[in-house]
Amino acid sequence: MTRRPGTSHLTTLALLAPALLLAGVLFGLPAIYTARMSLNSHLPGTFFVPDVTLSNYATLIGDPFYRNALWVTVRLSLLVAFFALLLGYIFALLVWLRPRRWRVMFCLVAVLPLMISEISIIFGWAVFFPRNGLLSYGLIASGLAEEKTSLMFTEFAAFVGLLYVTIPYCFFSMLVVFDGIDRSTIEASEDLGAGPFRTLVEVLFPLTRLGMLVSFGIAFIWSIGAYATPSALGPDTLWTAGYLIQGLMTGQRNWPMAAALSMLLVVLVTMVMIGFRAIAAQGRRGGG
Amino acid sequence: MSTLELDHVSLSFGSVVGVDDVSLTLEKGEFLSLLGPSGSGKTSTLRLVGGFLAPDRGTIRLNGQRIDHLPPYRRDTATIFQSGALFPHKTLAQNIAYGLRMRKVSAVEIGKRVGEALDIVGLAGMGDRLPGQLSGGQRQRVALARSLAVRPAVLLFDEPLSALDLALRVRLRAEIRRMHQAYGFTAIYVTHDQGEAMALSDRVAVMNKGRIEQIASPQTIFHAPATEFVHTFVGESCAFSLRIVQGRVQSDAGDDLPIVLVNPLHDGPIRLYLRPGRLLLGEAATQCPNRAIGRFGFAEFLGDTWRHHLEIGQQTVIVDRPDRHLVAKGVDVEIGWADGDMRIFR
Repeated sequence: MTRRPGTSHLTTLALLAPALLLAGVLFGLPAIYTARMSLNSHLPGTFFVPDVTLSNYATLIGDPFYRNALWVTVRLSLLVAFFALLLGYIFALLVWLRPRRWRVMFCLVAVLPLMISEISIIFGWAVFFPRNGLLSYGLIASGLAEEKTSLMFTEFAAFVGLLYVTIPYCFFSMLVVFDGIDRSTIEASEDLGAGPFRTLVEVLFPLTRLGMLVSFGIAFIWSIGAYATPSALGPDTLWTAGYLIQGLMTGQRNWPMAAALSMLLVVLVTMVMIGFRAIAAQGRRGGG
Repeated sequence: MSTLELDHVSLSFGSVVGVDDVSLTLEKGEFLSLLGPSGSGKTSTLRLVGGFLAPDRGTIRLNGQRIDHLPPYRRDTATIFQSGALFPHKTLAQNIAYGLRMRKVSAVEIGKRVGEALDIVGLAGMGDRLPGQLSGGQRQRVALARSLAVRPAVLLFDEPLSALDLALRVRLRAEIRRMHQAYGFTAIYVTHDQGEAMALSDRVAVMNKGRIEQIASPQTIFHAPATEFVHTFVGESCAFSLRIVQGRVQSDAGDDLPIVLVNPLHDGPIRLYLRPGRLLLGEAATQCPNRAIGRFGFAEFLGDTWRHHLEIGQQTVIVDRPDRHLVAKGVDVEIGWADGDMRIFR
């Protein structure tokens, strides 16, 4: 960060104060409350018993059931983030390369998934994936399948559902990154003898490296915290962390355990973000 | 055989004509400018040669090979872009080496040529810098070095100096001229700045509405413009709409005007074009073969010259002289010029 001369730390702090206050009240306090809750213990019939113990964490890490749930969640989120970035990148690149007059239309299409409520989107997929759904009929009509098939309640359906809502975030964040690139550098690359693939590897990737990390991070965090989409579209055996937290909160009424699992997710995401920052800092000299 | 040949090349953008039936040839070592206002098709013509646009009709040949269907990376041309278009994540040396790497030049040779290219543009020893650390003028030097390093058959300049301030522009203009004299590269230079076109070029093609109005040496363009557009676009000019009736000069409205042209002209409407800097006033004008009487209006000080505004009938003539012609407003003054200093279009 560069600071202009004459701007004191105090001014910076004063300007940040409203945002910091809002973030502190809306995010900080609940996080502290959750952290404290995760140290309480639980007796059947109560929400929690005031205590200071790490036994919840010990259970989470020790129990293969929870370990597996975390692994399933991370694996699904990494997959979603990777493909959301891939598709968002391609889509944003194509929109960036088209003349500007097309842009509003493409952006409207891209923003649509964000304008529909998550529940409506889930219902949409619920008429798309089943045996008597659109996909099944479409496959038969096009001759790609001979029998009706259902993809509802599969991990694939959960994956597609999550992909659908994360692509817009990747698309818009990548579009902003592309807009920061002087388009004539692409022409210069081709002019100097590099074909489209070499130009992608030599010019576009290095210039969008940081943006790709941010974009991937957004999609990853979004999916790791998702609850409704994977539990509604996925199989009964797809126990993601979000689904388990909900179950612990409202089903078993074990608030301390739910809080501990939440904290574990927070730690996981933080670790991923720190990793990204390290990669980004490393690439800053050569990247952008 | 000419290096580059454009043969009846046309291109339209939807219903808008971009390039209209352009033909030109470029000899090896020649420096040609495409000069014209914005929208005249000069940049489109350049991009057709560079491969960023494909012609609707016509052919483009480079060293005898047809290239109009080839993508930019298969053409032996190199463009210097208006923005410089340097790769911001690569050092100057890496920027210059880029085209050589794509051409599979050996590492030793690349090192040698990068050093040479930096030398030529006066940035020796700065190969490790990133483009972000350079001034606008330095960036354009690197862009030039990057294009020169691949030794293309034709260098294409796309208004490379237009984003720079005037003093720098004039300095770099002279440097490009010097480099061309020293290294003899073949180049097309697109500009809307007539000064640049005149100073740099062996030949200038003046473009208007997608067509080439005239292609000739800068001297011919200036002293013998082929069309009214060239006369008005290059250099200062003042124009009169006149009618010749039985040898007398009349205005459009049919009033006799105090203008005497030494060579009799056919009857009919004419457009008379004069260069304000080539007109004489008062005493000096009496010796001239062509004369007119103008009513003095006012004078402006332009630095090198005084600009005198006079009225002939309803039309204004401007006369640029080094010294102020001191007469009162409304006084009749004689204006004179030689045959070579006027152009008549019908």
